[in-house]
Amino acid sequence: MSASKEDFIGMNELPLARIRVVDLTMVWAGPCATRLLADMGAEVIKIESARSWDMLRSLHFLGGKTERWWNKSAYFNHNNRNKYGCTLDLKSERGRELALRLVAQSDLVFENYRADVLGKLRLDYDDLRAVKPDIILVSMPSHGKSGPESHHIAYGTNVEQLAGLASISGYEGEEPHKSPIAYGDPNAGAIAAAAALAALHHRRATGEGQHVEVAQWEAMIGTIGEYVLAYQMDGSTGRSLGNGHVSRAQGVYPCMGTDEWVAISVGSDADFAALCGVLGLPELARDARFADVVSRHHHQAELDAIIGAWTAGRSQDEAAQLMQLAGVSAAPVLKIQRLMQDPHLRARGFWESVTQADAGTWDMDGQVWRLSRTPAHVRTPPPMFGEHNRWVLRDLLGLSDEQIATLEAYGVTSSAPDLAVHA
Amino acid sequence: MLRNVRPAAKRAQAQPRMTGPLGSMRILDLTSGVAGPWSTKLLADYGADVIKVERPGIGDPSRGHGRFPDGVPDRDQSALFLWLNTSKRGITVDIETASGRALLLRLAARCDAVVHDLRPSDLARLRLSHDVFAAENASVATIAVTAFGQSGPYADWRATNLTSYASGGQHWLTGDAGREPLQNGGYQAEYQTGTWAFGATLTAVWDARANGAGQHVDVAGMEVQASILEIYLPDFAYRKAETLLLRRGNFASAAVGIYPVIDGHIGIHAMPKNWPQLVEALDLQWMADDERFADNRARLRNDDDLSAEMFVWAAGVTRAEAYERAGRHRAPISPVNTVADLLASEHLDIRGFWREIEHPGAGAMRYPGPPARMSGTPAEPRRAPLLGEHTSTVLTTLLGLSQRDVTLLARAGIV
Repeated sequence: MSASKEDFIGMNELPLARIRVVDLTMVWAGPCATRLLADMGAEVIKIESARSWDMLRSLHFLGGKTERWWNKSAYFNHNNRNKYGCTLDLKSERGRELALRLVAQSDLVFENYRADVLGKLRLDYDDLRAVKPDIILVSMPSHGKSGPESHHIAYGTNVEQLAGLASISGYEGEEPHKSPIAYGDPNAGAIAAAAALAALHHRRATGEGQHVEVAQWEAMIGTIGEYVLAYQMDGSTGRSLGNGHVSRAQGVYPCMGTDEWVAISVGSDADFAALCGVLGLPELARDARFADVVSRHHHQAELDAIIGAWTAGRSQDEAAQLMQLAGVSAAPVLKIQRLMQDPHLRARGFWESVTQADAGTWDMDGQVWRLSRTPAHVRTPPPMFGEHNRWVLRDLLGLSDEQIATLEAYGVTSSAPDLAVHA
Repeated sequence: MLRNVRPAAKRAQAQPRMTGPLGSMRILDLTSGVAGPWSTKLLADYGADVIKVERPGIGDPSRGHGRFPDGVPDRDQSALFLWLNTSKRGITVDIETASGRALLLRLAARCDAVVHDLRPSDLARLRLSHDVFAAENASVATIAVTAFGQSGPYADWRATNLTSYASGGQHWLTGDAGREPLQNGGYQAEYQTGTWAFGATLTAVWDARANGAGQHVDVAGMEVQASILEIYLPDFAYRKAETLLLRRGNFASAAVGIYPVIDGHIGIHAMPKNWPQLVEALDLQWMADDERFADNRARLRNDDDLSAEMFVWAAGVTRAEAYERAGRHRAPISPVNTVADLLASEHLDIRGFWREIEHPGAGAMRYPGPPARMSGTPAEPRRAPLLGEHTSTVLTTLLGLSQRDVTLLARAGIV
């Protein structure tokens, strides 16, 4: 057992308060991983540079006129709260050397570059281990670092296509369908955060670091693992069921208002009797068309018409609540606008107000890992470009103000992005 | 009709192997279905000794889900169960009985964490809570993995994957404009909840081991989903504009969508910086010089024109041709793979992704490998437990019960 500093976290400190992360990731998958760790108290230092900055900063939808728009992208800010921001040009010798000095006093390094980039920067696992023997490196290439397709690139929607999820998604009998979100990203991000924690557990037990590789394609296959086994059992490749299910009677039904829907799902005969009670049609439970799971499956369309006639005169909330009062699984299909007003999340205090000097004040989603003794919050707003340069370079790496000024003059560190990069 | 289960004496009893990064961790798993079992499967595959508790004689409902080898139902051979419960030890305890509850509390005292998927009303009925577990073992963490969490007006709502997906915001955004919102394939709302619960559990145990006091962790699927609404929620929360809040079917724009090709479908996801490579990969270099497509703003203005060009191009290529060109030019284009394509993938095969796992009833199958590869602590998943397979072993070795005690408990229907 090696006694490591994190063994001494106090009762009231966040779980990862003594963990420092050098975060080389951009866009969503990597930042999602490091956000989870930052939320839990880790000191995450996000590295960008004038020539290599996070593309999400450009997705701000504010028009071209706003000052320092690169600090105002809601999408970027969402992914990077509770982190520090430092700019270092890793392609410069001096920038690389400073990054390694930072790694030497860190616990974890995250990167989601294309598979070959870290090696070109001479910042591979062996380079990092040379300055910090127990470092944990987490790499998140889309296709993995090895194999005949490792030169391919992919974003989150590509990942769900590669992984087979798109092939089983869609309206029943129609073509494959994509998720609205770049789903491969947060999936790989949450896996990478957990894998980093697993590696920390191992380091605590043995003193050893390691290299963790999350190939985003592979990390997504698990979410349809039952289809992989099913294919080997009976040759079925899986197909889209729309809003349906292999055995449950379920669907989404139109409600009062524009594009408002409620989802209702019934499994057992008792559930179905409860549903019929809510509909005011108790005799339906004895109707031969709906008498059991198999009958309901074969007469789903007729059942949908009956349920839809009932929901059409009600709000999605009223419909869901009446069903739930009778013990039937149901929920409003929440639009984003409604989600943010939803009384349940409001009652749970899910939303947190965040203020950042350039971006102003807005509401952000809160914690998904809700710990009872050490509840976490948004402690610091997302970093403005280069906001913590002085803290990192002077306080952590011991450079003088003159040295920092020289680095800035040579573009090794900077306080504004080169706008030609993500035109 | 259930097939007979081979008697325990003839089976090799899978012992926890204490390998992987979590080799010293023990988890008491009270979950069933998809979300909770997925989180504990990940813990188990990485080496934790996960003791799954099921109802005597019945087990996890996923045992009845299927599919089954050759279509023949067997509670030990359901694809969903086999996938979600690898590497775990399986015991049966009726936790609704006083004796069963007492066994449960004794087991919790020997574990780093208890993972459950019970609503507040279920916990109250069973007289279980984090405080109850902690009274036996102050360092135990309790992780609740549910659709709506342990507080708030929906906390006792019933949920399935569909209704959980509906409440989280992704559902409304999925599907075509003018049609009903569409759920994603499989059990994605539940998988998301489980994936996040995996990390939450590791955080809680990390904390508990540092200071000897376990915490309660509340993971709500609705919040997990709401936290990953990509640009949609953050942009609305910030700008208060609804411009992005639409169902866009298979196309966010012409450059981000799913296109039919000769032998199936491909997906393209080109950000502005990928445009030069995309044009090369499509072999439509003239587009680079067309003023309609001169920059990202122009391309969005002329999205219909671009879309038309791309549909025409796609109709003339196969998935393999498009993918090969994409790799050569480093453009983000992928085939829409089926599970059959995955199992035939040379890339995944060469990387050693699949794990061949033998099961006494279902036989040998290739299971997807762990989602993260760890250079120092490779994970080697083992098959899922038969119903009650480890009841006797766990109760005798962990709790010190005699075989006679176990037999008595079994006769009483408690285990």
